[in-house]
Amino acid sequence: MDKQLELLQGTLDMLILKAVSLGPLHGYGILLRIQQISKDRLEIQQGSLYPALYRLEHQGWIISEWGESENKRKAKYYRLTAAGRRRLQAETENWNRMADVIAGILRTTPEEV
Amino acid sequence: MSLASRVRSWLRAMLLRSRIESEMDDELRFHLEAYAEDLMRTGLLREEAIRRARIEFGGLDRVKEECREAQGLLFLDTLWQDLRFGLRMMRKNAGFTATAVFALGLGIGVSTTVFTAYDAVALRPRPVKDPDRLVGVYRTAEGASYGGISYPDYRYYREHSKTVSDLAMWSGGIGVTTPDLSVAPSEDMAHVAGAIGFHLPQLLQGSAQRLSCVFVSGNYFRLLGAQPAAGRLLLPEDDEPNAVPVVVLSGNFWQSQFHSNPRIVGSTVHLSRAAFIVVGVTPVDYLGTLSTVPPLWAPIVARPLLGDGTRESLENRSVGAGIVYGHLKEGVSLPDAQAELNVLAGRLRATYPEVERNTGVKVVSERAVTYVDSEAWPIVAATMIAVALLLLIACANVASLVLARGVARRREIGVRLSLGAGRRRLLQQLLIESTLIALLAGAVGLPLASWTLHLLVVEIALAIPSYWGTIALQVTPDIRIFGYTVLVSLLTGVTFGLTPALQALGTDVNSALKDNGSMLGRKLSKSRLRDLLIIAQVAACLVLLINSALLLRGSQRALRIDPGFDGKHVVHLSLEMYEPTMGNRQAQLFQLNRRLTEEIGRLPGVSAVTQASRAPLSGGNRFVPVATADAKPLASGEGEDKRPTVGYSYVLPNYFETLGIPVVSGRTFTAQEADAEAPVVVISEGAARRFWRGQNPIGKRLVIGSANARSPFAGERVPFSLASEVVGVVRDARTLFLNKLDDSYIYLPFSPARHPTSTLLVRTSGSASSLMAVLGGTVRRVDANVPVVAAPLDWMVSFDPYFVISRIGGMLSTVVGALGLFLACLGVYGMVGYSVVERTREIGIRVALGAQHGQVVGLMLSQSTRAMMLGTMTGIALSAAGSRLLSAMLFGLNPMDAISFSAVSLLLVAVALFASWLPARRAARVDPIVALRYE
Repeated sequence: MDKQLELLQGTLDMLILKAVSLGPLHGYGILLRIQQISKDRLEIQQGSLYPALYRLEHQGWIISEWGESENKRKAKYYRLTAAGRRRLQAETENWNRMADVIAGILRTTPEEV
Repeated sequence: MSLASRVRSWLRAMLLRSRIESEMDDELRFHLEAYAEDLMRTGLLREEAIRRARIEFGGLDRVKEECREAQGLLFLDTLWQDLRFGLRMMRKNAGFTATAVFALGLGIGVSTTVFTAYDAVALRPRPVKDPDRLVGVYRTAEGASYGGISYPDYRYYREHSKTVSDLAMWSGGIGVTTPDLSVAPSEDMAHVAGAIGFHLPQLLQGSAQRLSCVFVSGNYFRLLGAQPAAGRLLLPEDDEPNAVPVVVLSGNFWQSQFHSNPRIVGSTVHLSRAAFIVVGVTPVDYLGTLSTVPPLWAPIVARPLLGDGTRESLENRSVGAGIVYGHLKEGVSLPDAQAELNVLAGRLRATYPEVERNTGVKVVSERAVTYVDSEAWPIVAATMIAVALLLLIACANVASLVLARGVARRREIGVRLSLGAGRRRLLQQLLIESTLIALLAGAVGLPLASWTLHLLVVEIALAIPSYWGTIALQVTPDIRIFGYTVLVSLLTGVTFGLTPALQALGTDVNSALKDNGSMLGRKLSKSRLRDLLIIAQVAACLVLLINSALLLRGSQRALRIDPGFDGKHVVHLSLEMYEPTMGNRQAQLFQLNRRLTEEIGRLPGVSAVTQASRAPLSGGNRFVPVATADAKPLASGEGEDKRPTVGYSYVLPNYFETLGIPVVSGRTFTAQEADAEAPVVVISEGAARRFWRGQNPIGKRLVIGSANARSPFAGERVPFSLASEVVGVVRDARTLFLNKLDDSYIYLPFSPARHPTSTLLVRTSGSASSLMAVLGGTVRRVDANVPVVAAPLDWMVSFDPYFVISRIGGMLSTVVGALGLFLACLGVYGMVGYSVVERTREIGIRVALGAQHGQVVGLMLSQSTRAMMLGTMTGIALSAAGSRLLSAMLFGLNPMDAISFSAVSLLLVAVALFASWLPARRAARVDPIVALRYE
């Protein structure tokens, strides 16, 4: 497999929100889901996951609840709040616009300048 | 919304600390176990899987820390850590801490003192019921913006006002005498006041007591919601025209004179020979709307009984009787009341045009003791600014001390920065250190301020004669003042800590680690500003201290001035008589004086007793225009009197002998001349020189006064004589003002039978104070109803306004100057200290190249010495320019007094040099090897 790409700064939050938007998950599950939907092409630092989760909860985009995991163990589940959903949408639009602009710049040939 | 959720999350985190911790533990453990299980599924053994999981996860504690930070918990943790660290640092540098705390404590203390005084006078509400609705009504007229309302007008407003309820009046007070009490010897003499030369004449021990009695309307106490401490307070019935005369005592008076004996209620006291029934006692220190506690409260209708006017004079609409107070009714604002009262005043003007012309009314809030109006604001603002400046200067100087130390801590800060400490965190910690010092300084400054104020109030209260009243100003610190002090301390801490902290953080990590402190001779970028600050401070201190030296030396001279009469052996007695105008008052006073003169004359040691219309230097200066008899006669009706004026007084023939004023030519009056009030006059040398220079004035004549002249003072007569013959010339003396000899003074004869006076002068061969101890009893034997105020003549210096200003100004100037000097020295110390540390490498090189210790120290001192010298010269120049303005208060001292200037300058330079030498010494101890390796 190709070498994994490092996460760009600030994108972890977005990915977490996206992962959670597809259904409530505990922390480990979020990690797995991100790896799954990125088809394992992204390198995620495990140590930065939980601080990000706490931060997002502090800011009110996700909300946590203790529940039971698949193998009947206590786990903390996170789900998206309404504000979080709006935030995810805004961030997505932002990201797409930014990608457009950057790509356009990078495509510029010497003649177009 | 995210702010609310942040706050919620933070609160939750704060309160459920341990639960959150254990939840975090559970969550992370779950993660690790889940990951380990997944790894086991790929074939690893359990221990291996767990190990791998942990390693890949990263530092567990670090993650937890970051999670905590994400929840906003970290702030309080770091705060607590910084506090502990700050306290440790303070203990370690005890010397620096003590100095900084002292310096800042002074600044904060002064600031708190001024604020407390302002609060007591202008902010604190009066101790009455409903102070926010209390208003005062004043009469306005040309030239008087806070005049008294007349009694009939007051009744009119009371009846007709719909916006202000329960109007009551305070109608001034007078001194009354009572033979039922005699003055006890005062145990507490005012220490401080006496020490600096202030002695105010007190009531003679044993004489009748003179008490201040204030008059208030019957509903006054009801308006203010006062409760009696015993008996009852005044009621409206007591203020009716034919009511039984009653009086209320103050709690202070009751305690001190009657030892809180409850049987005083219902008993009768005689006030100025009228009988009053004591109906009750106010609580101790009860002020009502006044600022000093009066011993007696009486209804307004009792005024005529006590000799102040007549029943008719109460009905006089054109005489202001007192100040009116009332409560704004519910829902009424101050402008509403003002508008309504304006209308009522307008009606009065229409009804009584001749008395109410040009008058109006003003309604002001009486919530606090003083109303700071537009006239007083500039003074208040100026004081606040001055105090703030003092605090700023203290901060600047302490900051420079901190800077000097900050350089030494650069290594520590560099290490911490390289270990990953955030700059913000370090800034927080440095600021907390400085704030701790400032809070400690506040803890020192607050009690200092309240102690000083208390001392001032107590000392002033002791120095003021008891018959003026008791000061009961509330200067104890309360929660508001405490809060103010804390706030000021916090601000101070941030102010003086910010600059050094920012400077310390500007450190380049690498260079700090290598102790690369400075390049050769690099100066702090702000050194120009700091130089100016030092120069300005030194100059200001010098001006203050020189002025204080001048004023103190000058006022000291005042005490030793030969006033031209013998003040040490003469006692001045003043009979304080406020009796009802009875038919034979003059005869009474004459008899009184005659018997007093006899009795006092019989006391051992007394060599002469005389009378006069005024005593020297006791105020009551009177002037009359005179001209020589052969000058152009002026018709008495001519416009202004352009003749020169001279001071005058009426004296008995033995006046000069009693006071020790030598008669240089001619003679004093004869007894016959005195009895007949003959047209003769004795003049001073100055008058002789003025009117008949070079000639012999004996036998010449003076025209004194004019026929229709009227004295502006009620009951006094103005001298008038068409031709008074000069019979004697006496030596010049200082009887009008202490700071110069009277220009010209004349003495006129009077007959004690026809125009008795209330001033006696007694000469004793012993000491004046021992005479005073027995005089009171003597007076009492003659007439128990007469209060007598007495003092040795040389105490009269205390009265002279120039002396008072000179002394007080001198003391204040000294105190402020000394404090300023201390602060300036701190600044110099810091400046030199900083420069030593900064230039350590340079010093090392110089020493290695052979410089001597002395040379190195000298080099360090050169910059600060230059600043000091500039400051000193500026200060001397400013003082020299301005001291001329003080000459009126210097009593003959040369405004450019060499001793003051030179002694103060030398002192200042010596102290400042010492302050800069202390840190410079360290430069000499620099080991060149260490210094060279410093980079």
